[in-house]
Amino acid sequence: MMSTEVALQQAEQLLGQYAKDTAKPEPNRLDVTIEGSDLTAAATTLHKARWGYLSALTGVDLGPEGEAIEALYHFCEGAAITTFRVRLPRSGGAVESLHTLYPNAMFYERELLEMFGVTVTGLADTSHLFLPDGWPDGVYPLLKDVDAQAAAERASASEPPEMGRQGDKFIVPIGPQHPALKEPGHFEFGVDGELVTSAKVRLGYVHRGIERAAQERNYVQNLYLVERVCGICSHSHANAYALAVEKLAGVQVTPRAQAIREMVDCLERIHSHLLWLGVAAHEAGFETLFMFSWRDREVIMDLLERLTGNRVNYSANVLGGVKFDVSPEIAADIRKGLDTIDERTRHYLHVTMDDTSFLQRSRGVGTMTQAEADGLGVVGPVARASGVRRDIRTDAPYGGYAQFPVKIVVDAAGDLAARFKVRMEEIFESSRVIRAILDGLPEGELTVKMPRRIPAGEAISRFEAPRGELLYYVKSNGTDMPERVKIRTPSICNWISVLVKAVGSQLADVPPLLAGIDPCFSCNDRMITINRPGRGRQILTWEDLRRRAASHTRRGTLCVR
Amino acid sequence: MSVKADSIWTESLDKIKLWARVNSPWAIHYNSGSCNGCDIEIVATLTPRYDLERFGIKLKGSPRHADVLICTGPVTRQSRDRLKRIYEQMPDPKFVVAVGSCATSGGVFQGCYNVVGHIDEVIPVNAYIPGCPPRPEAIIDGVVKLLTSLLPAKAEK
Repeated sequence: MMSTEVALQQAEQLLGQYAKDTAKPEPNRLDVTIEGSDLTAAATTLHKARWGYLSALTGVDLGPEGEAIEALYHFCEGAAITTFRVRLPRSGGAVESLHTLYPNAMFYERELLEMFGVTVTGLADTSHLFLPDGWPDGVYPLLKDVDAQAAAERASASEPPEMGRQGDKFIVPIGPQHPALKEPGHFEFGVDGELVTSAKVRLGYVHRGIERAAQERNYVQNLYLVERVCGICSHSHANAYALAVEKLAGVQVTPRAQAIREMVDCLERIHSHLLWLGVAAHEAGFETLFMFSWRDREVIMDLLERLTGNRVNYSANVLGGVKFDVSPEIAADIRKGLDTIDERTRHYLHVTMDDTSFLQRSRGVGTMTQAEADGLGVVGPVARASGVRRDIRTDAPYGGYAQFPVKIVVDAAGDLAARFKVRMEEIFESSRVIRAILDGLPEGELTVKMPRRIPAGEAISRFEAPRGELLYYVKSNGTDMPERVKIRTPSICNWISVLVKAVGSQLADVPPLLAGIDPCFSCNDRMITINRPGRGRQILTWEDLRRRAASHTRRGTLCVR
Repeated sequence: MSVKADSIWTESLDKIKLWARVNSPWAIHYNSGSCNGCDIEIVATLTPRYDLERFGIKLKGSPRHADVLICTGPVTRQSRDRLKRIYEQMPDPKFVVAVGSCATSGGVFQGCYNVVGHIDEVIPVNAYIPGCPPRPEAIIDGVVKLLTSLLPAKAEK
């Protein structure tokens, strides 16, 4: 990986011919203002040079007085961020879609369309992404002068179709209320016998409108609002937001507070991965493993409760520091708890890596090669299980991660089994880091004074949440309320991999495949996509189907012929 | 004579039904816009530390099998109709438990454009369990309180 300066220089060279203006707002950022018509050409140049990936697309309404919308395309390579700034008129703006280069762009662009009314040409599906199906036309909730609440009163939801034939396909609907889902989402799998031929997902059941709400609350209130984007990775959201606001305010958090934040982050990662292990085991039919991993997760929940006073939304952060200190007694308890976790995780690693019946459900399921994973732009443990070395904690260490670094965990196999392995190894790594922090906890104050009004400017903070890269963009206008808060959560990057991988797999493999990315609906709730296999219709005789079924069950070594 | 025999029969049947209902209620869970915090605590109640099943409470997959609907989160516009539909699919008598601050009052999401409001603006609620999120013990306590409230005679003793 190249250094940040080299990467930015390279980007500046590559984009020189398209740039109307360039700026360096932060040492690791390059802002390039380009014309909307040059967007595809500029993105193609970066894509050809293999410079990073499209991490997020932020729309910013400059308001009726500014008479424009800015679309910001954030590309990341290691710690370097290159942002394309495209200025568009407030109504009737249009940009070309980048989804042929970056498949994930599809979701970001549909968000731009739905929230700001920017037309995106070349987009196959332009139906609603997060808003309800019956949302009134021409109302774009992130435009500042739109009364979204009044418009919403007129919105209704339409019901998804019933199970059955649709044309020549048989559709198996799952959700929004389904025993396998603890959160609502609606999936439609087209099947040909047991084979999945198409996959479609409709989310938005838990879209609440947090980005708009954040513009109407002050910085301190927002800390508690963003914590409730997701109850599982609540610390990640609050910490990422706090990092962005502290950057804007020019406040440096003390090393002690940074270390405590990192410790809570590591504890959160352990509880989140154990939670995931249980859910994934449940989806694959291993109920006992589900019960065991959730029982052991309680050890971490107890520690979090002792540290912060709450089991789930810990509110460990305040702007400028943390709320609590780590006493020697709690430190001793944490060490003891981690001993249990380490021992149990060794057992889980053994179960998930050596048990034949478990491997039959995970080995070779949903395999994604490194090139595929890179091309799809997946993040977090899903990317690392496919050999993509992408981890913000090592790429762009933030907060305490510079002082207490983590080792990146990568596995090349790319299948479901590898995702189990990577997450289990990350539990060991997190536990090692927590011990290192407890051994070398720096002395100092817990908080630094923060101004109530935050100076005007914009900041981007990237954070490695348990599910992958989380990106916050915060724009301030000098008041005590942010002008724009953009949240790009990791789950939205990973959905595409499920949809691509479900097609062509067995229907029975779909639940573990879905669970494999550890989807978080409340985080990402913002998309719908359709995916069709490249091949034409295939006609199978009974004999073919029987042979397929037989060969499928023979896949594992346990089966006796 | 026959009338009296009938009433004895229905009375005893009602007693048996109430006994069964209180001792083994089946529950269904629906998240209508929650942040996940309450949902993971509800799942935690099923796992060995809290073990909800010792009260005979079992989480079911289908609303048609359920007596108790455990709701989390504020109601978003997209999930409002689905919440109503799930409620309507449940056989009578049915009970609704609103878990968490958002389900009881809208919580931090009060005023968000895609949020209709709290659960009882959409369907009737029998028990409210506040907290952000409530602890698993609080959820179990709420459900058990709801069930014991069905036994008025017992409460008087």
